[in-house]
Amino acid sequence: MVDFALTSEQTSLRDMARKFARTEMAPHAAECDRAGRFPDEIYRKAWELGLMNLNVPTEYGGTGLALFDQCLIVEELAHACAGMTTSIIANCLALEPILLGGTEEQKHRILDPFCAEYHLASFCLTEPSGGSDAGSLKTHARRDGDHYVLDGEKCFITNAPFASLYTVFATTDPTLRHKGINAFVVSRDTEGVLPGKEEEKMGHRASATSTVRFEGARVPVANRLGADGEGFSIAMRTLDQTRTPIGALATGIAQAAIDHAAAYAKRRHTFGKPIAEHQAIQIKLADMTQALRAARLLTWEAAWTIDHGERGSLESAVAKCFASDAAMRVADEAIQVFGGYGYMKEYPVEKLLRDAKLAQIYEGSNEIQRIVIARELLQRYA
Amino acid sequence: MEIAVLVKPVPDAETRLRPDAGGSGLDPEGVKWVLAGYDESAVEQALLLKESIPGTSVRAISYGPLARAEEVLRFAIALGCDAATSVEQPAGAPDDPLVTAAALHLALSKRAVALVLCGKQAGDDETGLVGPALAEMLGIAEYGVAVNVRWDAASSALTLQQSVEGGLVRVRASLPAVVALQQAWNDPRTAKLPNILKSRKAAIERMPASEVSSAIATVQALAARRLAFRLPPPRTGAKMIEYKSPEEAAERLVRILREEAKVFP
Repeated sequence: MVDFALTSEQTSLRDMARKFARTEMAPHAAECDRAGRFPDEIYRKAWELGLMNLNVPTEYGGTGLALFDQCLIVEELAHACAGMTTSIIANCLALEPILLGGTEEQKHRILDPFCAEYHLASFCLTEPSGGSDAGSLKTHARRDGDHYVLDGEKCFITNAPFASLYTVFATTDPTLRHKGINAFVVSRDTEGVLPGKEEEKMGHRASATSTVRFEGARVPVANRLGADGEGFSIAMRTLDQTRTPIGALATGIAQAAIDHAAAYAKRRHTFGKPIAEHQAIQIKLADMTQALRAARLLTWEAAWTIDHGERGSLESAVAKCFASDAAMRVADEAIQVFGGYGYMKEYPVEKLLRDAKLAQIYEGSNEIQRIVIARELLQRYA
Repeated sequence: MEIAVLVKPVPDAETRLRPDAGGSGLDPEGVKWVLAGYDESAVEQALLLKESIPGTSVRAISYGPLARAEEVLRFAIALGCDAATSVEQPAGAPDDPLVTAAALHLALSKRAVALVLCGKQAGDDETGLVGPALAEMLGIAEYGVAVNVRWDAASSALTLQQSVEGGLVRVRASLPAVVALQQAWNDPRTAKLPNILKSRKAAIERMPASEVSSAIATVQALAARRLAFRLPPPRTGAKMIEYKSPEEAAERLVRILREEAKVFP
């Protein structure tokens, strides 16, 4: 019953993603990282090949992959550059609320034209005053006839400077806390939608991140997703879906770190032999490999669980949290294997550490993931 | 018009090859079969022609064990081929270029194909014989080592370039013809994800081994027999020459080449 073998279809998808990652992304990863450049031409190509709207069903113009298959692809892309991968999969995060909360009419009206061309979308939940405490968000939505009027500010929003669509979470009544939150689809063209300047980041520097301000932005009621007050639930269910690919992204970083470290260890000589023949290095590589393989299997398990129709809150939180912590450890050890060279920007491993760090923070910090895990666990002992 | 493009499954370059138990062939266990690089260029050329000539369709044809052949055919469909035919290799039939040509001839003789494209050779056995042999069996011309195949509507003929020593020859070719292509000159496209998904469900025409057996019977008797299949000996370590001046380095290198490697008498 349990089967770890990929189907030939899955192998084909993975091979295609691997080819794209190696030929289109990897050669530009160091340059984009150094310059903090957003390689729009690579993202456009990713869209052309169907790598961008992976979770959107084909009937709305997406690729329509199961979560497991998405994870296979994300791992391959992240192996080449986690920053580019974040920008490529940001559409999945931004569009998921529409898939979960939208009506058929909304899905076709919004997604059909969006997916038919190269477009970017941004998921706007986090605010300057807090990200994890989503129930206390301050962006306000005031009902005015057929419209809502949005005021407030979102921050750390992936792809925001280049997005044409924003899914925005705002409260109609802060006293209701979670129950006052609604989700809106907001077009970039709307007056009063103001993306800020790009942030200078530690890692994921090929991805663009900025604030988005809403100053009296009028959004049609027809663009509210779900019932009045359903926004918080939509946000949480979205993150249940999109958390697992972050585990895959972290796995890709860890795999890259091991590939670099193992190859270097066989090349680099000290005390008359390759450092790969010293047990100190072998033990590192062995520990790194254990962390990698556990990260991948937990990610696969979470994706499998969700693909089988379960919510998978526990599994996806475990996968995301474990894999990102593992990527951080593995990247750290890869630098240690490289020694002084690992600390130099001329070599590829210090970037992996900077990139891995974000995976512990975004899409729900690992502290939040542990809260989710504990809550899910303790519920089972009621 | 219909273009046929011949695609051969070859072991992936990253596969670790092993001789089989008999020591005369490749052990297929664990081998990943992929579309040969030269044939990938041929598929790309077929698709470029299809895009430039209205009403053109491309059929990929592969000869080999069924699962292997169909894997590369699905890949060709994902790249943009319209249809596919798998020609099943009968159990025990030798891997021989003339046998392959005869089997492919059977598939092609049943169709009105104007143009047959293939790689000039395959990345495994590198014989480069299937294209010319097939053209001979079909009784049509063959153009080898070709690049830049274009359709000239005014003269209803192909123009193409052939690599020769030190340059390229420009050729005008009337149809029907077999054109064998150079590798990697046309930057083969990447299959789109949705097309990969569709290709998994595409129908593939099958030519069963029973039909193929009689078609290859005559040439099979002439097939080359492979006596042994061995891996190259493992590489030995490089030798570093220590020197103080370039002259000294050259002198030492020449001495090693002469006395140890025996490159010079």
